[in-house]
Amino acid sequence: MQLSAGQITTFLLSISIMLFLAKILGELFTKLKQPAIVGEIIAGILLGPTVFGMISPESFQWLFPQHGEIKIALDSFTTVAVILLLLISGLDVDLSIVLSQGKKAISTSFMGLVAPFILGFGVSYLFPQLMGIGEDGSKFVFALFMGTALSISALPVIAKTLMDLNIFKTRLGFIIIAAAMLNDLFGWLIFSIILGLIGGNTHGFTFEQTLFFTITFVLFVLSIGKKIINRIIPWIQTKISFPGGILNFILIMGFLGAAFTEFIGIHAIFGAFIVGIAIGDSVHLKENTRQIIHQFVSNIFAPLFFVSIGLRVNFIANFDIVIVVTILILAFAGKVVGCGFGAYWSGLNKNESLVVGFGMNSRGAMEIILGILALQAGLIHEEVFVGLVIMALFTSISSAPLMSYFLKEKDKTKFKYLVKEEFVIISNESEKEKVISQLVDIASEELKIKKEIIFKEVMTRENSLPTGIANYLAVPHAKIKIKEPFMCIAINKKGINFEAGDGLPSKIIVLLLTPENNNELQLQLLAEIASKFKEKDKVVKLVSCEEKSEFCEAMREMA
Amino acid sequence: MFSKIGLAISFSPTGKALVKESLRLQQIFNSRLALIHIGERNSESETLLFQTIDEAGADRNNLEIIWGEGDPATAIIKAGKEAGIDLLVVGALEKEKMLKFYFGSVARKIMREFPASSLILKSPSLEPVPFKKFFISADYSLRCEKTIRAAFQFALKENAQEFTIIRDFYMPGLTAAIGDNKTYDEISALIDQMKYDEEEKMKLFIQELNLKGLEIKIVCMYGKEGWEDSNYARTNEADIFAVTGPEKKMGFLDRLFTHEIEFSFETLPANLLIIK
Repeated sequence: MQLSAGQITTFLLSISIMLFLAKILGELFTKLKQPAIVGEIIAGILLGPTVFGMISPESFQWLFPQHGEIKIALDSFTTVAVILLLLISGLDVDLSIVLSQGKKAISTSFMGLVAPFILGFGVSYLFPQLMGIGEDGSKFVFALFMGTALSISALPVIAKTLMDLNIFKTRLGFIIIAAAMLNDLFGWLIFSIILGLIGGNTHGFTFEQTLFFTITFVLFVLSIGKKIINRIIPWIQTKISFPGGILNFILIMGFLGAAFTEFIGIHAIFGAFIVGIAIGDSVHLKENTRQIIHQFVSNIFAPLFFVSIGLRVNFIANFDIVIVVTILILAFAGKVVGCGFGAYWSGLNKNESLVVGFGMNSRGAMEIILGILALQAGLIHEEVFVGLVIMALFTSISSAPLMSYFLKEKDKTKFKYLVKEEFVIISNESEKEKVISQLVDIASEELKIKKEIIFKEVMTRENSLPTGIANYLAVPHAKIKIKEPFMCIAINKKGINFEAGDGLPSKIIVLLLTPENNNELQLQLLAEIASKFKEKDKVVKLVSCEEKSEFCEAMREMA
Repeated sequence: MFSKIGLAISFSPTGKALVKESLRLQQIFNSRLALIHIGERNSESETLLFQTIDEAGADRNNLEIIWGEGDPATAIIKAGKEAGIDLLVVGALEKEKMLKFYFGSVARKIMREFPASSLILKSPSLEPVPFKKFFISADYSLRCEKTIRAAFQFALKENAQEFTIIRDFYMPGLTAAIGDNKTYDEISALIDQMKYDEEEKMKLFIQELNLKGLEIKIVCMYGKEGWEDSNYARTNEADIFAVTGPEKKMGFLDRLFTHEIEFSFETLPANLLIIK
């Protein structure tokens, strides 16, 4: 079978249109601070039977035929796309992070997998009709799938949300990322086993054989295979042209892994995902190689895949409000409660646990990939698929604002929240011991700690290395037995010698007290304060403030 | 700083060199020295051990000899703990064979499990000289503060020429977060900014420690934590690479998915000083 010149023309035209609209809408949604995938799915809905097919059925059929050679060519293309998507998802997974994050990541991930799974499985098994099971579907397999579908997370969306909220490099960010990585690994493993369970393979393996091969494959690739890859990569990077050689190697390994898992009766994507993890684990894989392959897949193959989703399904005709709402409720309840409880159980506080719960709730691309594979395998019907896509998009969009809401509590450790009018004094002292003593009085009263204790700590630090910074600023500080940081400020128009590097007297004296067991918080606040006083003009203006309220406002607004 | 130094000694070719290195350390720290030998105590083994000690020029009356039996690593850890050793000197291969590494060698087990500090010498010398280049793996924890202070004191005693603090940091999932909506330049600028921020923070951290007497160099690197710093120490031919001992017990999975300090255990980048 060969495509005619006309069919090739149509095929290329359809791909061009898909890529063009996906990029436009993807970029638009990125500008709106939303995941690009939302725009790409909408592009598919616009080009598919839902909109374009309704407006002009003949043109739709001509450009995106639902049967025949062009359809097969397009399906092959999207199959490669989804394999590559899972390959790069694997590259991002770093299982060593899970180990370094320890109990917190493991319990969050475990509960984030188990709670939605039990909820999804239970409701689907007990109320299959409500969940939209097909007439000829196996209740058990359907329930297994729904449980898995609700328990999966989407690392790329989660990572992007953490980045936008500026908590990527925090303890909380690391826990969420580590938990999502572990979650993904087990989610895809369970899903692959389900595919094995419904007997999708054509090579005559029994379920037990498929299971055995799957586990052996995972163990081999993530142990010996990983070590071998780690030795090959530096050789390729030095001996073969860069980045062509290493990209070639990654794709070859990814496709080989995919071919193997397809052969043993589970989907090709699983092999690509596991090989991706093994390659991504290599310490020799350069950061720019990761970026190149990411750009290549995210900007070409991913949009094509996500647009193709909209081409397959009519989102209006298959929209079932009961299924959509049920899936949404189960998704939120399972993930937020599960992960939140897991995080709380491991020692995080209530607000942090909720941040983790909502952070892990993003399903994004992974849910959609899982859904389309289940649809192709006949596990679910279009109505359920539409419900899963809507859930994936809704959880991805809602994650950032909900996390942000519960993160407010955490902001209490930020400089601008520590500036309080009642903790600002106007001082006329001319010796640093005396102004420090004045500030310590406020701290002692507020923190209910003996003045002598605080004073001794602050002066010990001051005597070992004076805390005058520059631009009329001094930050005497100490670590003491407190839970939250405390800050109070003295404005001294005459200026006091704190031996600042620029020789200027200190006119703004900030007493900073931080918990004794948290070096990083102290450093973070010191760095933040120093950075705010970098511009001398602003500081001069600040010193000239007559009212405390005016001073505080100006302090908070300093860039 | 270290009041009692222990040396795990066997009848290996490096035995004499290890005794000499330990004697030098004993002198600079002005501490007591104990030799721990695991194996059956009989006239033959005694003669061999005494011969090694004598050939190394040590005064047998000026050191304690501890004999133990059983699994060498377990017995050394037990004996060292009971004898109140606060720095255990051990000789080790730069890299173990893969299977031995996974399933545990004596030196690697001691590195992971000895409750006090240890110094792992990868090529002890018969004519030991002071260590001149100190590289320290750093984060902002209180435990690391102790490591930096200990390594600094050590470097001062050795009159070291170089004292470099290395901070490596990594953001898993960074490519996923920004890979599809930022240009190369933007991504590079972002990583550079993060490196700059880390460097500033590390400068503050070191300033807070108020260490005087040696110039301190700070290097911040983006990449796999534990790998970047050990690799930097290796390529810069460090004499001592100081790390903070693992907080929890490291197991098989930590070796399989190598991370942080395990990179240094896997391949010693230099003589490894583990501070606990």
